[in-house]
Amino acid sequence: MKLLKPSWVNHNGKPIFSVDIHPDGTKFATGGQGEDSGKVVIWNMAPVLREEDEKNENIPKLLCQMDNHLACVNCVRWSNNGLYLASGGDDKLVMVWKRAAFIGPSTVFGSSSKLANVEQWRCVMILRNHTGDVMDVAWSPHDVWLASCSVDNTIAIWNARKFPEIVMTLKGHTGLVKGLTWDPVGKYIASQADDHSLKVWRTMDWQLETNITKPFSECGGTTHVLRLSWSPDGQYLVSAHAMNNSGPTAQIIERDGWKTNMDFVGHRKAVTVVKFNPKIFKKKQKNGSTPKPSCPYCCCAVGSKDRSLSVWLTSLKRPLVVIHDLFDKSIMDITWTLNGLGLLVCSMDGTVAFLDFSQDELGDPLNEEEKNAIHQNIYGKSLAITMGSQLSSTIIENPEMLKYQQEQQRNQNPNGAQASGPENQTPKLTNVLNGESLEDIRKNLLKKQVETRTADGRRRITPLCIAQLDTGGTAAVNSIGMKSNLLLTSASKIEPMKALDSRFTERSKATPGVTSVPLTIGITPLDRVKDSSSVKEPKGKDETSSDSEDKIVVKSMTKRKGEMEGAEVVEKRKKGRPRKDAKIMPISQPFPQTPVSLDKEPSRLTTPVALLKLPTPSIQKSFSTQVSTDGVTYLEVENEVSVVSGSRLSQLKWSREGREWDTLLPSRIIIATGSSDVVAVACEDRTLSVFTACGRRLIPSIMLPAPMSALHCSGHFVMALTASATLSVWDVQKQTALVKNESLNPILSGTDATVSQSFLTRQGVAVVSLSNGKTYCFNSSLETWNLIADKQDSLVQCADFRNCVSSQDALGSMGPLALTQGRNLSAGRLASRLSSMPHHLQQGMTLAFLEKQLASALILLSASEYRHWLLIYARFLVNEGYELRLRELCQDLLGPVHKSSSSSWETTVLGLRKRDLLTEVLPVIGQNLRFQRLFTEYQDQLELLRLK
Amino acid sequence: MAKVQVLNVAVLDNPSPFGNPFQFEITFECMEDLPEDLEWKIIYVGSAESEEYDQVLDSVLVGPVPAGRHMFVFQADAPNTGLIPESDAVGVTVVLITCTYRGQEFIRIGYYVNNEYTDPELRENPPVKPNYTQLQRNILASNPRVTRFHINWEATMDKMEDSENVDPAPNTMLPPTSMPSKAQPLGLMPDNSMDCL
Repeated sequence: MKLLKPSWVNHNGKPIFSVDIHPDGTKFATGGQGEDSGKVVIWNMAPVLREEDEKNENIPKLLCQMDNHLACVNCVRWSNNGLYLASGGDDKLVMVWKRAAFIGPSTVFGSSSKLANVEQWRCVMILRNHTGDVMDVAWSPHDVWLASCSVDNTIAIWNARKFPEIVMTLKGHTGLVKGLTWDPVGKYIASQADDHSLKVWRTMDWQLETNITKPFSECGGTTHVLRLSWSPDGQYLVSAHAMNNSGPTAQIIERDGWKTNMDFVGHRKAVTVVKFNPKIFKKKQKNGSTPKPSCPYCCCAVGSKDRSLSVWLTSLKRPLVVIHDLFDKSIMDITWTLNGLGLLVCSMDGTVAFLDFSQDELGDPLNEEEKNAIHQNIYGKSLAITMGSQLSSTIIENPEMLKYQQEQQRNQNPNGAQASGPENQTPKLTNVLNGESLEDIRKNLLKKQVETRTADGRRRITPLCIAQLDTGGTAAVNSIGMKSNLLLTSASKIEPMKALDSRFTERSKATPGVTSVPLTIGITPLDRVKDSSSVKEPKGKDETSSDSEDKIVVKSMTKRKGEMEGAEVVEKRKKGRPRKDAKIMPISQPFPQTPVSLDKEPSRLTTPVALLKLPTPSIQKSFSTQVSTDGVTYLEVENEVSVVSGSRLSQLKWSREGREWDTLLPSRIIIATGSSDVVAVACEDRTLSVFTACGRRLIPSIMLPAPMSALHCSGHFVMALTASATLSVWDVQKQTALVKNESLNPILSGTDATVSQSFLTRQGVAVVSLSNGKTYCFNSSLETWNLIADKQDSLVQCADFRNCVSSQDALGSMGPLALTQGRNLSAGRLASRLSSMPHHLQQGMTLAFLEKQLASALILLSASEYRHWLLIYARFLVNEGYELRLRELCQDLLGPVHKSSSSSWETTVLGLRKRDLLTEVLPVIGQNLRFQRLFTEYQDQLELLRLK
Repeated sequence: MAKVQVLNVAVLDNPSPFGNPFQFEITFECMEDLPEDLEWKIIYVGSAESEEYDQVLDSVLVGPVPAGRHMFVFQADAPNTGLIPESDAVGVTVVLITCTYRGQEFIRIGYYVNNEYTDPELRENPPVKPNYTQLQRNILASNPRVTRFHINWEATMDKMEDSENVDPAPNTMLPPTSMPSKAQPLGLMPDNSMDCL
């Protein structure tokens, strides 16, 4: 074994918390503390491995450094494919880095070290979810998921193929989660936390598989990290800090039954990190000795707070090697080279050490085939197979599911192949800057750039976009040679001058971060010109008069605010006026089926009893209206057609496709409306008459309590909204009242809103929309007003369920619900633009929204919409993994399998057979392998029922 | 993390006569779309002795800034010679380029500037009253001094939550010209602003 401490790998003396070797073995990353920020550095591996490379000036040691993390970086991990680097830090962020396709080296602009970044690594994704420091990150096998754990006690599972989507947040730890490791088979993820527990979670349903507490009950929460590790054969999980007989150990947990019978003993202080060698070894066959079959074994490195490192082989009872006093402070992280013979260790003291083993010491590493054979042997499948499907690691448990999955793939493939073509081409196109080279652009930039003046006379330049971010920044801006026409004489004169030097950085000393620029108000551009000639620097008074300056800022800010508010008030008043006016004036257009009133004067029919609340249409001499869309039907009204013995008669004329009838009424007609089945007219004398489609009077005139405000017919239902704000709905066929003089007070009181629209659904549900954007329907069985749509509802705006809308749903549903909510629904798409909206919040809002839609469709008795939203809801539950809700839904749809008289289960909902709905929902569930058990369970029961 | 990284500043027209405008070609990269403009300023340090003699040569708003790499040329007039102490006119001083977002300075780039007579005779016997027409300005472009400050890139937390829960529209819908601009017209002192309050 060789031991090396490359002194050039350092963070300028600051602690190094994490180290990880790239899968191709050519570089490694370190993460830790930088100058007042977190720091990630990518180093060249060659100078560590070979002395001649270390001495060769032409071989770079540092490849790239990134100080984008605002606070200490606790963990850096390469993805298994080596394309990405994930880092997590005290700034609660996980950043994902990707190498930009840059040509040639570049420096960090103005960096004092003058060390060129040989490679360009760019942050391609910032994952925000944790509310505390991120302690560990881990890529799942095949890079399907990225897991991160935090001191906020949670573990986030990110969809590594669709960042920043969160697959699941694992909750259950009651202490800071400080370490993560994936099962190499992909079935589990294990986490260790300060709550004296190690938890193993299933990746199939993200539920807890086991909770191991016994070996940790004596542990104190004193270690910075608890990096546990899973053996490459998947058989053993080794914890960080555990205790056995008050001695610190690393607990070995067997996959088979999660038994905790063995541990690694010997460290004098808590174990901070355990890392298995990625290789499985077998005994080196010595020349001459009789070849005897030996069990393959694993190798594991253990680092501790006692500053020592031990390396163990699972075939030996004692450690292979123990190295004491390797560092001045606790060991923080360990990483193996992919060939299994090298090992990098980093420490809180800011140094790293490299250990180089020989095959004589560790044994013969198994090659990939042999390793796969072992996996095949134990788990029945080889891990080397990279499956295309997202849940590559889930084992399909039943043939139905397999059949279904295969069918799905067949259906998807032709589409997928087509879609991928054009996508691959687009990034290339964005690179071209209208065929102009960067040099050309630079020459004319000053002339070409767009400069405008803002309202307050300030210059505003629109910068020229020279590269999209996702193209990897191929524009080689940094290679521009700086013009250094410096005279030698002047160079000698330019010496660091203390007084001037301080000007470069002084702001950071005075008020780091929060520098406030004084606001000034009320200066006209004219003043500005005058002033600028005699003005002194406004800044730089921070040290002496920062207080007073702050006050000025506050003052001016508040003044600004005052002005703004004033402006807002004015604006509001302007907006408010027409609304008030609208209350006095008759609303004409909101009643599409009622006559259009040209008269501005509101009708002042004096009704002694009721207070006029809703506007009534004015009486016109004659009007016509179209009713019922199937078969164009016209209603024509002519008031006061003739006077017979002192009473004035009005005529109602009905016509449909050549057929027509007319009837006479003794009073002037205010509103006439009809459906395919009935015609209803309201007269000035507060009567309501209802006729059949053939003109036969169905019921004698109904006497209304107040003048009619709005009248609707749908099927054989008639809805009347009176001026005294009461609602009635009758079924004129059955001659029953569905809603009887129900007051609109519950929905109108407390608001200054008015009824802006009302209609009757085909199922006889009365719907009333108010001017404040809210829409209610009256449920006659509950006898309540129910809010079914609200334009101001934040849920509507923030819910994002686009993923759950299938292509045939995309056209949207037709029905009363869609009618009331209108295009407002698409506003939900805005939600996705809110970059920083936490996923769980969005998830919750979407769930709440979808459930509301479902309930609204139900109360509106709108079957097609109910089915539409049910399927979207099911897809959402499947995508987001709400198993309990999904199960409840399925259970309700399936009902009791065995008939019993006591069961109150209805076989239908809104006329749809529930089990038919379940048949539609099940394939949706089947799309996610995680729910295969649920799928199978209900599929079987449905099948059973069908056979009955 | 900082959403805006300055990748390069090229000093154009350098060296140049003292009276020529300053020209900096600034290349920067932005991680995500910025709802508000960046404000850039060029400050000329008139004298090493005191900040009193600092002059803001100009300030510009730069926007809209979508995610990506951008460049622009920032040109500003030469300093007002009347405000420079005569003793400091010739010799080494500093020019600063600062950038602020939402009123917070997050980067400060400083260059040494050497002002010198080109005429050897004048160099030998400089006049008491500086002859600015003969002065040459030379910016030491190869050695920028960059100081970065951590600032809050988001609106304050409360505000952000509000905007998430209420209406997502305001930021996205505003035309660029009506972006709320916090920055003041340049060259105003706190004292002055006190007066106008």
